[in-house]
Amino acid sequence: MLKKAFVSMALLMMVTFLMTTSGFAQKVRGVTDTEVLIGQTGPQTGPAALWGSVARGSGLFFKGINDEGGIHGRKIKYFLRDDGYQPAKTRAIATEFVEQIGIFGVVGCVGVGPGMAVRDYYTENKVLMVSFGSSGVTNWIHPFNRYIFPIYPLYVDEAHGLTKYLFEHMKLTKVAVFYQNDDYGKQGLEGVERYEKEMGLKLVASVSAEVTERDLSSHALKLKSSGAEAVVMWAMPTHAALLLTECAKIGFKPQWVTSSTLADTPVMMQITKGLWAGMILSYPIETPDSNNPLMVKYRAWHQKYEPNERWGTFYYSGCVYAEPLAEGLRRAGRNLTPETFIKAMETLKDWRGIGGPFTFTPTDHQGAKYVRYAQVQPDSTVKILTDWVRITQ
Amino acid sequence: MLGQLIVSGLAVGACYSLLALAMVIIYKTSDVLNFAQGEMAMISTYVAFTLMESYHVPFQWAVILTFLFAILLGASFELVFLRQAKEPTVLGLIIITLGFEMILMGFAGWKWGPDQRSLDFPVSNIETYNLFGLVMSKINFWTIVITLVLMFILFLFFRYTKVGVAMRATQQNQLAARVMGIRTKWILSFTWAISSMVGAVAGMLIAALGVLDPTMMMDPLLKSFASAVLGGMTSLPGTAVGGAMLGIIENLFGGYVSLSFKSVVAFAVIVLMLCIKPSGLLAKHYVKKV
Repeated sequence: MLKKAFVSMALLMMVTFLMTTSGFAQKVRGVTDTEVLIGQTGPQTGPAALWGSVARGSGLFFKGINDEGGIHGRKIKYFLRDDGYQPAKTRAIATEFVEQIGIFGVVGCVGVGPGMAVRDYYTENKVLMVSFGSSGVTNWIHPFNRYIFPIYPLYVDEAHGLTKYLFEHMKLTKVAVFYQNDDYGKQGLEGVERYEKEMGLKLVASVSAEVTERDLSSHALKLKSSGAEAVVMWAMPTHAALLLTECAKIGFKPQWVTSSTLADTPVMMQITKGLWAGMILSYPIETPDSNNPLMVKYRAWHQKYEPNERWGTFYYSGCVYAEPLAEGLRRAGRNLTPETFIKAMETLKDWRGIGGPFTFTPTDHQGAKYVRYAQVQPDSTVKILTDWVRITQ
Repeated sequence: MLGQLIVSGLAVGACYSLLALAMVIIYKTSDVLNFAQGEMAMISTYVAFTLMESYHVPFQWAVILTFLFAILLGASFELVFLRQAKEPTVLGLIIITLGFEMILMGFAGWKWGPDQRSLDFPVSNIETYNLFGLVMSKINFWTIVITLVLMFILFLFFRYTKVGVAMRATQQNQLAARVMGIRTKWILSFTWAISSMVGAVAGMLIAALGVLDPTMMMDPLLKSFASAVLGGMTSLPGTAVGGAMLGIIENLFGGYVSLSFKSVVAFAVIVLMLCIKPSGLLAKHYVKKV
């Protein structure tokens, strides 16, 4: 009896010992000999579903990469989950990603609210967050987090740069702002105000709208009565269309300027019935018809794998967000762990995919610091006005 | 600026009135608040859009076919969902409309996707009529005309036709109405059909004024509810007055007080009216005898 108990104890101790020794501990979550497990949340249904194509675009990119043989012999196994842009759902999916599926990292995951709901959880669990949040708010770089690699230009710097462009290239000083009343819109407003303050100027008006509002007639009147020569708009597509129409009705025709979030020009031209022409915007990625060899390759993948998807900017942004992840995996080599991946990512210096130049250092993970300025043409194409301009110091 | 704020308020108020009209028709007959009203209108508008975009059906034919679809949608919702409810209470029926709203929203997202679209309309939303320096887009003007005409027709219908009187009787006492030989089930289906058609008119105009997407009716539905509460939930002219007043109040508040708080004015109106005059401005306070 005693002997039996002793043997059982010894066996238990041995198992415990083996589990804690290096051979077992080295197993990295989400990495096998043949696969790397990557997740992405994105609204496929609900009010924000328009941005859901980003996650599907990343799926296209991973399909292409896998068909080329994967990276260091590993295929990317991609998990796309619909969070409906609801932070509570995003949090539940994060638990599934980490505790059930066991992912190595996430890519994209559009949305400030959804992103904030899971940022700390992912950090605690050492989940790599590449191109996280798919947005230019400062929440991903303050406080510094070595697991997050954001690649969207900061809204505040983007708005600052656009106002500077208006002032320096078009000599427009009477500037008003129309912004969505949330973090996204407020950071646009902050950027314009910062430039105005630097130049000793004053905003002629700042007008905000709630996300759900559908009547912007009084907003248009307020902007008109301010006498603005230019209006910087930090809003969603519906508001942009409504505001342009209301302003056209009352004969208010300022120079319109907007963020890269409204870069889907064919859609904007259609829903504004052509009023979008002349819009100046920052353009941090290649244009849809670009002859860049990577764009040519991705368009071919699009035709081969997902011909029913519309080749819009949100869709191929999914490729832009996934590109640095693939490059990080390449540079990390066969010995892939969160630490080797982070070190590899921090060697990217002015690295180019189909987005702007990205740089990550051990102390600075804000990858995108450059944009180009462009103007929408009457035929729905965009004319690039400048070379890459550094907006974040 | 004051004059233009009022004119713009009237224009947007007409949209609220139209949708409120659709809600009131159902409420007058069955005491049910239809939370699916907005999404029923949105689906009908998508049908019009598909007919014109994919099948190149001329506008007037697309509108007629959409009306037919809306009638079928309204009647079948009553027949398939509401009528099947076991021992239904008003609250239970309202919850069913909420469920139907979610089904329709999900269906639209699946069928047409989340992209914003533009509904082609023969009247321009950018060209305007000018009067003493005040501007109103052509489509805004015609929205007001259509609202008033529809309201007038429905008013006559409820007041002077047999079916209209039967609809009012059904609301006041279903059992007594049935005893008097009114086919109340048929009346309810008919009510939902008419309401759905009026909603389709509202949906098409609202889409033409802005953009067409699955969420386009969320804000207008709330505002139309506030308009109906303001004007009186059982009064057809009340919806027109309520919509116009709400549009003007919102715009004046946005223009002179705060644009940031403009969107909560409708909530304030609902709360104030329910505290001061729950029956609304134009409806008579009706007490059911027991």
